[in-house]
Amino acid sequence: METKFDKTVEILFELKVADVMRKDIISIGPSDMMSQLKKTLQERRISGLPVVKGSNLVGVISIEDLIRWLSDGDADQRVEEVMSKNPQCLYADQPLIHAVKKFDQFGFGRFPVLDRESGKLVGIITRGVIINGTLKKLEKEYKEEEIRQYRASHFFGDISADQKKVTLKFKISGKDFDNAGKASTTMKKNLKRMGIQPDIIQRAAIASYEAEMNVVIYTNGGVMQYTITEDKLSLNVTDSGPGIDDIEKAMQPGYTTSESWVKELGFGAGMGLPNIKKCSDKMDLQSEVGKGTTLKIEILIGEDHEVK
Amino acid sequence: MKIGEIIKLLNAEVHYLHNNQSDAEIKSAAACDLLSDILARVHVPDLLLTGLNNAQAIRTCSVFGIKAVVIVRGRPIDQKLIDLAHEEEITLLSTKDSLFIASGKLFSKGIEDAFEPCE
Repeated sequence: METKFDKTVEILFELKVADVMRKDIISIGPSDMMSQLKKTLQERRISGLPVVKGSNLVGVISIEDLIRWLSDGDADQRVEEVMSKNPQCLYADQPLIHAVKKFDQFGFGRFPVLDRESGKLVGIITRGVIINGTLKKLEKEYKEEEIRQYRASHFFGDISADQKKVTLKFKISGKDFDNAGKASTTMKKNLKRMGIQPDIIQRAAIASYEAEMNVVIYTNGGVMQYTITEDKLSLNVTDSGPGIDDIEKAMQPGYTTSESWVKELGFGAGMGLPNIKKCSDKMDLQSEVGKGTTLKIEILIGEDHEVK
Repeated sequence: MKIGEIIKLLNAEVHYLHNNQSDAEIKSAAACDLLSDILARVHVPDLLLTGLNNAQAIRTCSVFGIKAVVIVRGRPIDQKLIDLAHEEEITLLSTKDSLFIASGKLFSKGIEDAFEPCE
C-alpha cells in the first residue's frame, strides 16, 4: 500500500518554506536603472530579482523583462517602470508543498518569501532550493534511520557476554478497554526495532494481543513480561485472579464463558487461547481459581524455526 | 482498486488517511466483527470492514498488519479512535452502508476475499 514517494511527500509537508529559502537576498531598488539590473544579473549569474524599497517588496523583475526591454530598444529606464507589480508571494511559515504547487500553477522561476506578521521580504525560493532542501532532509533522515536500524538489529551482535537477554515488562490494567492492546502494539514496534524476522513478530504480536485482551477482559489486571534472547522470545503473562476453572475446556476452540459485552468488543468467541497456541512453539497455562493464572509461551527465533 | 475509489464507492467519511495517500492500492479485504477470527487467519488483508467502532478495531489492524479499516452502518467515530488511528498509522474510514452492502460493492469491483478455508 506504500509507494516510494511517501517519504518525499511527507517531507514536503513537514518542511516549511523558511527551512529551505535563500536568506541572502540579492535585490534591486525601484529607482535603480535597467542597465544596473543587466549588470547585476550578469555578475551574479541569476535570472531574476525582487525589487525592494526599504525592506518592503514592491515588485519582481526577471531576465525575461530585461530581454523584452532590450529588444524594444528603449532608453535606460527605471526598474519600477518595467517590473511586475503585486507579485505572487509565499509566506515563510507555509509548508513547502504550497511552494511546489505554486511553481506548478504559475510556472515562474522564483517567488519572494514574506514574513506573515510584518509583510517584509525575508527570503527567496526557487525550484533549485526546494530540490536541495528536500534532498538534504531526506539524506539526514536516511542516515538517522540507518543508525537506528543498525543499533537495533545489531543489538545482540555488538554486545559480548556469555548470555544475552533483554526483558521488557508491561503492566496491564483490567477493564481498561481504551488501552487494551497497547502493550502488544508497542511490543510489535520494539521487536521490529530489534531486527527480529517479520513472521516471528507477527506470531508474537497475535499471541501477545490475545493474551493481553484476556487479561483486560477477564481479570483485574496483570503483568506481561517479554524476554528476548538470541534464540527465542518468551512471554509470561500473570494475573491475580479470578483464575480458570477448567483449563482443558478453556483450550477448546469455541468454548467461552464470556458475556455479550465481551462479544461487542470483538472477542469472547472462544478463539483466544487456541489462537495463542497456534502462534507459539511452546505454551503452558497454569491457573488456580481465586489465585490467578500464569501463561507462558515461547516462540523460537533461530533460522530453522521460521515456519512452524 | 485505489483507496480513493473505495472512498467514493462507499461514500465514506475519511477520518484519517495515512500519508494523505488516496492512491494506495487495496487488493483484498476481510469483513468481520469477530476480531479473533481475523487474527486466526493466515493471509493479511489490505482492508478490514467491521461494525466495531472501539479501539480494538484499530489495534487489531496494527497487530495483524492491516493498513486500512472501514467502519460500517454509520456508527459514530469517537475522536479517541481517530487519534489512535493516527498514532498507529491506520487509515480510518466510515460508511453508512451495512457490512453486507459495503462488502458487496467492493466484491463486485474485484476486491478479493482474504479468507482461506479452515483446516
